[in-house]
Amino acid sequence: MSSVPTSFRQQLLGTIPRLRRYARSLLVDASVADDLVQTALERALSHWHQFDQRRDILVWVISIAHNAHMDNLRRGGRLSIVDPQELQAEQDLRGSDPGADVGLRMDLVAALQRLPVEQREPLLLVSVEELSYAECAEVLRIPIGTVMSRISRGRVALRALLDGRSPAPAAQPLRRVV
Amino acid sequence: MSGPFSTPDERDDALSAWLDGELPPERRAQVEAWLHEHPEEAARVRLWAADRDALRARLAPGATEPVPDRLQQLVWQHAPEAAPPWWQGRGQWAAALAVFVLGGLAGAGATWRLQPARPVLAQAGGSGNSSWVQRAALAHSVYVPEQRHPVEVAVAGKTAEESRAQEDHLSRWLTRRLNVPVKLFDLREQGYELVGGRLLPDGAGAGPGAQLMYQASGGSTRVTVYLRKPDEAAPTAFRYERDGDVGLFYWVEAGTGYALAGSLPREQLLALAEAIYRQQPAAASAPK
Repeated sequence: MSSVPTSFRQQLLGTIPRLRRYARSLLVDASVADDLVQTALERALSHWHQFDQRRDILVWVISIAHNAHMDNLRRGGRLSIVDPQELQAEQDLRGSDPGADVGLRMDLVAALQRLPVEQREPLLLVSVEELSYAECAEVLRIPIGTVMSRISRGRVALRALLDGRSPAPAAQPLRRVV
Repeated sequence: MSGPFSTPDERDDALSAWLDGELPPERRAQVEAWLHEHPEEAARVRLWAADRDALRARLAPGATEPVPDRLQQLVWQHAPEAAPPWWQGRGQWAAALAVFVLGGLAGAGATWRLQPARPVLAQAGGSGNSSWVQRAALAHSVYVPEQRHPVEVAVAGKTAEESRAQEDHLSRWLTRRLNVPVKLFDLREQGYELVGGRLLPDGAGAGPGAQLMYQASGGSTRVTVYLRKPDEAAPTAFRYERDGDVGLFYWVEAGTGYALAGSLPREQLLALAEAIYRQQPAAASAPK
């Protein structure tokens, strides 16, 4: 019980590529994202005996990452992690890549980061990680109906941002998160 | 609000859940019928679908990056301190003994583990070669377990004709994007059906790579073929590497780099590699 089984470590290793992808989608900044990944892995290793082998380990680990992220936001006293300078840097970086579909991708990343985290997380989990609503509900520990409405609000808000219809949340607040 | 929805929010929730395939059959049929009569709403849903695809295209390739050593070592070496030791309250001797025994075991485990972490792929034919073979192995491990979206373009159609059209489309698309002729190999004789393919980023400075996925007929075993335009210096030898339970055959021939990956015994994988080798397109212009 005290020592982490090798099989569990192997399972956990297998989740890292997708865990990192999720953290990066959520946080943009790669080093901040890797810090989150590290925290999630450490917590998973410390609580390995709580993992029910009948469950999907990826869902379990992403759920740990979600909790860690929420802890960070609470600690920082921020509801949203949008840092305009970071965003600009990211945009410059993308903009300098001659091969990239510059306009669309840049706008997409910027718009995504402006969604409230309550919408961004389920939207990413379902769109990019291809989790079901049920798995998403498990990760976020909210009812499936809430997952459904947060995703649809997220889609409406993202589209509005991409259309340039709601440039600043202050000027035209996004709809309340259910 | 008329129709099957009582509020605009309820409507949006249903449309969005429909897009994600999350509605029960009856409700789905209802929503589809409604969308049929409301083309402007259908257009809105299509935009959401385009946004979802763009998000996926932009962010999904992130999972093919190699895992940094730092994180691998963290997982192998981490010895949790937070968990209460089971010997607590059993006296000093028991505690001392447990620390000694467990420490020894953990230490031995860590050393043994760290050495062969990624032995073969790390040394596969020099730096230029290893990285793309690694990407092929990673792309294999990322997409093979996918249940719902194993490939970007699936070839299965309702009719043979439809499947053929999909295959043509896939082959043309990948050929255009990779700038090398992409042929869809027929592995049915070896018992594998083509599932489809996807485009993948292939490292800095390189064009994209492609992954073709095959599944055992009537089974769940999948193998993938990674294709790319090779670097000038890439060695052409036919090579075999093993990483955990994933085996890889890779080679460069007629201006295309190939890597076949699968969790199969070496002999079985070799039979597939040979079938691919026999079918690969001949050199359009033999490089001198």
